[in-house]
Amino acid sequence: MVGRGGLTGIVNIMKRTGAEDLGDFYPIRPDCLADTPKPRFKPRAGKTLSERRWNAAFSEDGHLDIEKVLRRIQRGGVHPAIKGSVWEFVLGCFDPNSTYEERDQLRQCRREQYIRWKAECQHMVPVIGSGKLITTPIITDDGQTVIDSSINSTFSDKRSIQWMRALHQIGLDVVRTDRTLAFYDSEKNQAKLWDILAIYAWVDNDISYVQGMNDICSPMVILLENEADAFWCFERAMRRLRENFRCSASSMGVQTQLSTLSQVIKTVDPKLHQHLEALDGGEYLFAFRMLMVLFRREFTFADSLYLWELMWAMEYNPNIFSLYEKPIAESDKSAESVLNNKLLKQCGKFERNKVKTGCKDQQSALAVFLVASVLEAKNKRILKEAKGLDDVVQILSDITGNMDARKVCKDALKIHKKYLSKAKK
Amino acid sequence: MASRRRMLLKVIILGDSGVGKTSLMNQYVNRKFSNQYKATIGADFLTKEVQYEDRMFTLQIWDTAGQERFQSLGVAFYRGADCCVLVYDVNVMKSFDNLNNWREEFLIQANPSDPENFPFVVLGNKIDVDGGNSRVVSEKKAKAWCAAKGNIPYFETSAKEGFNVDAAFQCIAKNALKNEPEEEIYLPDTIDVGGGGRQQMSTGCEC
Repeated sequence: MVGRGGLTGIVNIMKRTGAEDLGDFYPIRPDCLADTPKPRFKPRAGKTLSERRWNAAFSEDGHLDIEKVLRRIQRGGVHPAIKGSVWEFVLGCFDPNSTYEERDQLRQCRREQYIRWKAECQHMVPVIGSGKLITTPIITDDGQTVIDSSINSTFSDKRSIQWMRALHQIGLDVVRTDRTLAFYDSEKNQAKLWDILAIYAWVDNDISYVQGMNDICSPMVILLENEADAFWCFERAMRRLRENFRCSASSMGVQTQLSTLSQVIKTVDPKLHQHLEALDGGEYLFAFRMLMVLFRREFTFADSLYLWELMWAMEYNPNIFSLYEKPIAESDKSAESVLNNKLLKQCGKFERNKVKTGCKDQQSALAVFLVASVLEAKNKRILKEAKGLDDVVQILSDITGNMDARKVCKDALKIHKKYLSKAKK
Repeated sequence: MASRRRMLLKVIILGDSGVGKTSLMNQYVNRKFSNQYKATIGADFLTKEVQYEDRMFTLQIWDTAGQERFQSLGVAFYRGADCCVLVYDVNVMKSFDNLNNWREEFLIQANPSDPENFPFVVLGNKIDVDGGNSRVVSEKKAKAWCAAKGNIPYFETSAKEGFNVDAAFQCIAKNALKNEPEEEIYLPDTIDVGGGGRQQMSTGCEC
């Protein structure tokens, strides 16, 4: 055990140099401290988007200089104190080119919409919004109500039944989501996550709920205090991710991204691709989880937030707000409207490269190139040591807690450029 | 290091979400239990070196996602399995009722050469919960199902307490081995116990 005084001393020194302790923002349960790896992310003066810089980026009536803000985020992430508000912009909840007043109105409108949806759900299953949650099935496979479950059995249409069947699965996953964080010691906070996922499953009944969505939603629940705001932030994140969660009898949506990954590696590192194919790994299924939950299992909690905001800043397109304002069905296409030079400057680094080369492929998300960059980092070991797919999995599992989010992003951008130039030829 | 690998036995763990598949695997391989396991996404695996009749084998245990919606991945993950472990929670009736679905789904997707004789092992987990008071599936009922499906070996376990987990996996290893055709069994001239560089070795205290 390190002496307490010594540690505090170090922390104080770090504070003075601009790096501070993240433990205050995402406290770990005392009994989990020993087993939880320390995050690598540290807010850095002059690099990380600070609260002061963030506030200064707004004009008097509330227009946001998104270009300036993106530059900061891509350099050093977002300070934990303001992550929630910044995420709302990079995920496209709000238009930077709007006033405070307009946004307040929109927020109010969205909160009311959420309350209406929640009331619909509550009407069918009264546990919704009660501060409690369900972990055992309330409805059988053939649509019969399980005895002593308190649900309104007048709802027997296909959509309601399908939704009710997802609720206990959501509950089972919620009670094991980020349990090392003190935040989820509270039953109320668990119920908040459950409510949001349940209402999302109701609204987006096409996707409903698939395991892994809990990992995506959990940070929003922590960062945004208002439940409706957290829901909308999650909903915007899902606009990018929902196709990954689409399941059919023969495949899962994420496999489309996996085949893009296969294409990328084949183009930028044919030798590695050949080796993986020889090991029967041409489907790249070992990268399944990285893409499904956006590296939540490979990075600590704080580091995955850092990775996500870097990603979203790099993928930012000034058209996403208006694109996402359309209903889900119409927004499946990427933000491909014409961008003039000024708007191009408001794109993230990744998006700008994409737009410049006229690449409209929705599936070539930055996440795919992040996986490519991880594979490239392990390229030598995979080529030399992997004699089976299990070895590949083992080699990749070594990255857990050992990667620098910014470095992975930087390398991913390089690979993306290389891929674009090679794919052109 | 890069010597030919020891004979590999592939084991797949299936069962409803939350019955304790990840916990059972970790209890067996690492002798640890945690309340902090997250839901398994896709599939994951751990390996353990096992000895059987003076020979060393590598048990590769695949832990899978419990949600039905991941089932399309079965074809890829179940391929080449030597034994399939079906897990249910003795406190949740539905998880027992679903054993049949899991078994059939496995046989369809793994498509073993001799489905009639493919080795399964059934585990009734979480017998520690509430001192057994919340139990809804009796041992008798579970054993009857196993008998009807061609005498599947049955174990009652507690991954939390570590109860019966070793015995169950010994049986799993033995059955996986039986499934492996005799001619495929080869052994390197020297057995490099502890030199494999793997993280999990069975050298831990057995007592």
